[in-house]
Amino acid sequence: METVAVFFGGRSAEHDVSIITALASVIKPLELTRKYKVEAVYIAKDGAWYWDDKLKDIKLFTSGAIKDYLAKAQPVAVQFDGGLTLVKPNGLRKITKKIDIAFPAMHGTYGEDGALTGLLDMSGVPYVGCGVSSAAVSMDKVLAKQLAVANDIPVSNFLTFVKADLRREPDQAVKSITVSLKYPLFIKPAHLGSSIGISRATTETELRNALEVAAHYDDRIIVEEAVNNLIEVTLPIIGNDQPRPALLERPMTQSEDFFDFDTKYMHGGKKGGKGGKGSEGNDGAQGYSQIPAELPGDLYASAEAVGLRVYKALGCSGIARVDLLIDSRSKKVYFNEVNPLPGGLYAHNWAKAGVSGVDLVQQLIILAKDRHAQRQSLATSFSTSYLQQF
Amino acid sequence: MRGLGGFASMYRQSYPSALVYMLQGTEYQARPYLAWYWRTSDFSTVMRRRKLDRTKPARLLLGAVTAVMGLQIGLGLGLIGLGSLQPDGGGMIVLGLALLVLYPVLCAHMLVVPLVLGRVFITNPAEKRLIVKSAALFASHPGVKIAVAGSYGKTTMKELLRTVLQEGLNVAATPANKNVSSSHAYFARKLTGREDVLIIEYGEGAPGDVARFTAITKPTHAVITGLAPAHLDQYKTLAAAGQDIMSVTTSVEPQKVFVNAESPELASFIKPDFLAFSKSGALGWKAKEVQVTLQGISFTLTKGRRSLRLTSGLVGRHQIGFLSLVATLGLQLGLTPEQVQAGLAKTRPFEHRMQPYQLSGAWVIDDTYNGNLEGLRAGTRLLAELTAVRKIYVTPGLVDQGGESEAVHIEAGKLIAAAKPDIVVLMRNSVTAFIEIGLQQAGFSGELRIEADPLDFYTNLTHFVAAGDVVLMQNDWTDNYA
Repeated sequence: METVAVFFGGRSAEHDVSIITALASVIKPLELTRKYKVEAVYIAKDGAWYWDDKLKDIKLFTSGAIKDYLAKAQPVAVQFDGGLTLVKPNGLRKITKKIDIAFPAMHGTYGEDGALTGLLDMSGVPYVGCGVSSAAVSMDKVLAKQLAVANDIPVSNFLTFVKADLRREPDQAVKSITVSLKYPLFIKPAHLGSSIGISRATTETELRNALEVAAHYDDRIIVEEAVNNLIEVTLPIIGNDQPRPALLERPMTQSEDFFDFDTKYMHGGKKGGKGGKGSEGNDGAQGYSQIPAELPGDLYASAEAVGLRVYKALGCSGIARVDLLIDSRSKKVYFNEVNPLPGGLYAHNWAKAGVSGVDLVQQLIILAKDRHAQRQSLATSFSTSYLQQF
Repeated sequence: MRGLGGFASMYRQSYPSALVYMLQGTEYQARPYLAWYWRTSDFSTVMRRRKLDRTKPARLLLGAVTAVMGLQIGLGLGLIGLGSLQPDGGGMIVLGLALLVLYPVLCAHMLVVPLVLGRVFITNPAEKRLIVKSAALFASHPGVKIAVAGSYGKTTMKELLRTVLQEGLNVAATPANKNVSSSHAYFARKLTGREDVLIIEYGEGAPGDVARFTAITKPTHAVITGLAPAHLDQYKTLAAAGQDIMSVTTSVEPQKVFVNAESPELASFIKPDFLAFSKSGALGWKAKEVQVTLQGISFTLTKGRRSLRLTSGLVGRHQIGFLSLVATLGLQLGLTPEQVQAGLAKTRPFEHRMQPYQLSGAWVIDDTYNGNLEGLRAGTRLLAELTAVRKIYVTPGLVDQGGESEAVHIEAGKLIAAAKPDIVVLMRNSVTAFIEIGLQQAGFSGELRIEADPLDFYTNLTHFVAAGDVVLMQNDWTDNYA
C-alpha cells in the first residue's frame, strides 16, 4: 500500500482553510479508497512540522486543543534520502515513514505558491497539483495577468505597485490610479488567495483605505478596474496535458458584493450572517453558488474555453480553479485569477460534474504519478569534461 | 467466549452505560436484553450506532447499576477483610474474590429482576385492564374500522389510507409504528366516537398476536399487505406467520377483505371471496399508463367509462397496487374523484421507506426501514428500472429471519444481482457470506465492497457518490442485531 502524505496548515493567512481542505476533502476520501496509507503532516503557524494520526481529527482544531497538542508534541524532521522520509522522535528511538506521494492541501504563502512543491521537487517525490513555476505564477496575480495578456487572453485594466513605493509616495500612486483606471476598482494583495485583503473602492477615500489594507498582507498590490454588467464565475479543472473542466460555478452574491473570504467560508455561506444579504445558500460556498452557472447563449462554452486556455497558458497541472469575469452585455470573458489549490478541492462542484470525492483524489494521485513519470524520463544530466579542466 | 479485551471491557467505566443502553435498545425487555448480553464479546463497542439516550428511567437505572456495583465491590472487599481476620475465613476470602471478579456479570443479570417483577406485577396488569376497556370502546365505535396486517408495508398502507381518506372523512389512525395491543388501547382512549374511519395497524411478532388484536379491535375491513419471512425466530415457519396474519379475516366479511395479489406467499391463503389488489388495479378498477421517476409515479385508473388520472410522490412501480386500493376504497367509502386525486397527490415517501433525496449530486433512495425479502424485491426492481451512470446497492441484510436466514439471503443476493448494480456494498455480519453466495450464483460482475463499520460508511457516503449515481440503501441492523 502506497503512503500518501497530506500537508496542511502552513505559514499563511489561509492556514485554517487548509485544515478543512485537508481533513474533509483529502484525507477522508483518500482513506475511504482503502488504497493508500495516509499520513497527516500538519505545518503549524510557526512553520514547525508535525506528523501524527491524531492530526486527522477535526475536533483537535475546532476545540482549540491543538495548542496543548503542539506544546507537548515533538516536531518532525525530514530526511532527503533519494526521496522524502518523515522522522519522528519516539523516546530513544525514531519512527520513520518514507513518503510515496505527497498531497499538498495548502493554501496561500509557503504552500500554494510553489514553496512546498519546490522542496518536493528537490526530493523527487511525486506530488499532487501544480508544479513550482505554475504555482508561483498562479499565486502572483500580477504575473498571472501579464502571462494571460501575452497569450491574448483578455484581462481587465490593471496597475501594480510595490508596498515600498506606496508607503513612500502614496499620493503619486493614488493619482496614477485615478488617471489610468475607472471606478469602481478592486484592490488586492498580489499573492494571497481566499479573497483575503481584497477591497472594493468607489471613491478616493475608499481607495486609500483599500491600498492600506492590501499592503498589510503583501509587498505587491494590484489595482484592477471592475468589469461592468458583471457575472462572476469560476471553473475547477483537473488534468495535465489534457485538462478536464468541472462545471462553471456562479457565486450568487449581490451586485454590490464580491466573493470575499466571509462569503466563501464564514456564516454558512451567507454574507453578513443571519439576516444578511445572501441568497438561499446555506452550505458555505457550495450552497451560495449556482452550479452549473446559467449563462445565456454560447457564453458558457466561451467561458469554459477561456478557463482551459488560462490553465494551459499558466502551465497548470493536477488541479486548479480559474476565476473569470463576464460582461453580460458585451459577452466578453475576462481572466481574473487562478487558484492552484482550490479550497476543499471544489469537491462539491466535481460531485455535480459526476466525479465523487473519492474518485477525485484518486484521479489527482494518478495525475501526480503521470507527471512525475514524465519528468523522470527527461534527461537531467549529461557528461562533460568541464571538471577535468581543473 | 470473550477475549481478554472483551473481558476487560466489563471493568471499564463505560460498562454501566453499555448495560443501560442495551436495555434501552431492547425496550427494557429481559429476553432480548439477555440474548444481546450473552452474545456481546466486547462491551466497549456496544454503542456503535447510537449513544445512550439519558431519559429519566435510563438515568435512574444507571444510578442503580452504579450503586449495586459499588455495593458488590464493597461487599467483596469486606468479605476478604473479614476472612483474613478469622482463622477459618478461607471461604469468605474466596467468596469476596469471586464477588470482585464477577460483579459486572452479576449486576448485569440482577438488573433484569426488577424489570421482570415490574412487568409481571405492575405493567402487565395495568395494560391488561386498559386492553379490556379498549375492547369495549372499539366494539361500540360506530365508524368503519380498517385493520392493516401483513409482514411488510403496513405503515405505508396505513399512512396512505389516512392521507387520502381524510380528504373527505374524519379519520383516526394508530400513531407511527405503535401497532400492538397496548398501543391500540392507548389509541382507543383518545377516540371521540365521532370518527368516520379508524385505521388500526397490526404489528405481529409472535403466534396468536393478530388473532388477539382482531378480537379486541373488531375490524369491519381488513387490508393484508403481504406475507414474507419476518419474525421467524418466533413464528418458526412462514406458514405459521401467514396463518396468524390471516386470522384477521375471521371477523370481517370476505368482500371487505383486501389482499395483495402481488405477494406470492399470500396466494395459498386467499379465499375466492376476498378482493385482490395489485399493480393491475383494485376493486374492479384497472391501472394503466404508469410512469415511474425518482420524483414519483403517475397512473390512470379506469372502470368502464370512468377514468381517474392519479399522481403520487411515492417512488417505485410496486406502489401502484397500494395506491390503487387506497384510491378505490376511498371512492367506495364516499370520497369524490377530486378528493381521491387531491389525497393521492399529497402522498409522499415516508421517512426511510423508499425515500429519495439528493446527496453530492447523486440520488439516494433510503429504504433502510425495509426489513423483508418482498421489500428487497421491490427495491431491486426499481433500481433495475432506473437509468444512472452508476447504480450502487447498499444493504447489511435482513434481521429476524430465523432458520430461513441462509436461504433468504442467498435469494436476496440473486435479486440484487438481477438489478445489475455497478457496485454492491454489504456490511460485514453473519449474513454477508450468504448474500455473496447469491451474488455469485446470479453471476454478479460488478464491484463488491464489504464494510466493517456501517456507521462510518453511511456517514461518508457523500464522498463516494456524484451526479449521475443512484444509490439504493435497504435494510438496517441496529446495535442489538450486530
